Amino acid sequence: MKDLLSRVEMLLCTRFGVGKEEFQADAVLADLDLDSLTLVEFGLVAEKEFGIRVGADEISPNDTVADLVQLIHGKGMAA
Amino acid sequence: MSDGVSPFDVAVTGVGLVTPAGIGVPASWERILLGAPAATYDPELAGMPVDFSARVPGFDADKLLDRRVTWRTDRYTHLALVAAREAIADAGLDPATWNGARVGVVVGSALGGTATYEQQHDVLREDGVDGVSPMAIPMMAVSMVAGYLAVDTGARGPNLVTAAACASGTTAIGTARELLRSGRCDVALAGGTEAGLTPLVISAFTRMGTLSRRVDDPAGASRPFDALRDGFVAAEGAGFLVLERPEHAQARRARVRARIIGYGASADAHHATAPDPSGAGVERAIRMALTDARLRPERIDHVNAHGTSTRLNDVIEADVLRRIFGERPAVTSVKGVTGHSLGAAGAIEAACTVLTVQYGVVPPTANLDSQDPGIDVDVVAKEPRTMPIQAAISNSCGFGGQNAVLVVGAA
Repeated sequence: MKDLLSRVEMLLCTRFGVGKEEFQADAVLADLDLDSLTLVEFGLVAEKEFGIRVGADEISPNDTVADLVQLIHGKGMAA
Repeated sequence: MSDGVSPFDVAVTGVGLVTPAGIGVPASWERILLGAPAATYDPELAGMPVDFSARVPGFDADKLLDRRVTWRTDRYTHLALVAAREAIADAGLDPATWNGARVGVVVGSALGGTATYEQQHDVLREDGVDGVSPMAIPMMAVSMVAGYLAVDTGARGPNLVTAAACASGTTAIGTARELLRSGRCDVALAGGTEAGLTPLVISAFTRMGTLSRRVDDPAGASRPFDALRDGFVAAEGAGFLVLERPEHAQARRARVRARIIGYGASADAHHATAPDPSGAGVERAIRMALTDARLRPERIDHVNAHGTSTRLNDVIEADVLRRIFGERPAVTSVKGVTGHSLGAAGAIEAACTVLTVQYGVVPPTANLDSQDPGIDVDVVAKEPRTMPIQAAISNSCGFGGQNAVLVVGAA
């Protein structure tokens, strides 16, 4: 899980410009400028990075970083 | 008509430039005054019949802007954001404190986000619909640059993009001046931006036969008014002005670099790409701009020409200048240095004209080794020319016969 967390962190920071200091488990995605369109884009990137599909209806800007990581984890992406 | 420059004309209080000559006004202006051509071999065009261009050197959007902005915007917006921010800072304005509802944005662009368009089309063909980015439309639509500038600066006044081919940037500044004069805003960010150095765009211009084929000597390829010119050099870049209602600039004791005192625009109504050989459309635009500025032709000291380095444009434009102004004004084309950045060109050149008027120095036309004997105007070559300038014009002539002309007066 820790490895997955760091991979998601790396992705959000390098690809979407999230600051490392902002990457907190309880941070709301919208507060990191991760709006609904960005989350669709995240789905495209996640498919390439993790080999999983993240549907637009599975995550919302009102969710937290922890929710996002849990979603990816739940799709079989273990540490 | 007498001297048309008055303190009641729209003030230019800020300038920003991101050009193949450099990032920022100091770097760009220095190289433009040196007459040092920026065109060079372009690895991204490797293997193509025309494999050189004029790119902005060392432009790293992620370093100059926030990655949160850059990943969701096309390069044509990146160039604009950097140039506009420079212009705002140069004007001594602070978007954190200005009354955004009274700030307008008018941006010229001919093509918009072409790189995104091409890249996403490749994705569609390779990965299907599900691979296409949800950001594709907001990245490539030509209107989006104005919207992103508003988001970036809180400018909540009139907001639009003018698309008039190679006259887009000039049209943007002329339109912004109208918005200021009609009272629709107090401040306007007006400029142009283009980032169309993509394989498809360059292929298309190559097929049209408008680009220089001087592949063995890219630096010598853009040679406006020279006898051996054979086409333009495709370029990218952005130029921005901060324009203000004169009373607004005066109230905050802003430094006024110059004033936009006239604007004219016309259509050739002649052909999709070829300019009208009579130059009648260009002539009407110039005369309209002079009338707007209440200036007789003999009051124009300097012409920043469209001067693309194509066989047709330069001779037709020079004929018109000779007809209207005689041999008096000092003519230059900065495209010898910068190449031709299409929708951005007019804005970059308006910015150069502002600096020329302010500092009293006309940049040389690069690569003008032997002036075309059919061109009978006083083109500044080799060295910059120092001279007092009260009024100047900046010309733009676009594909489709769209002409736009600004008159710039001393502050």
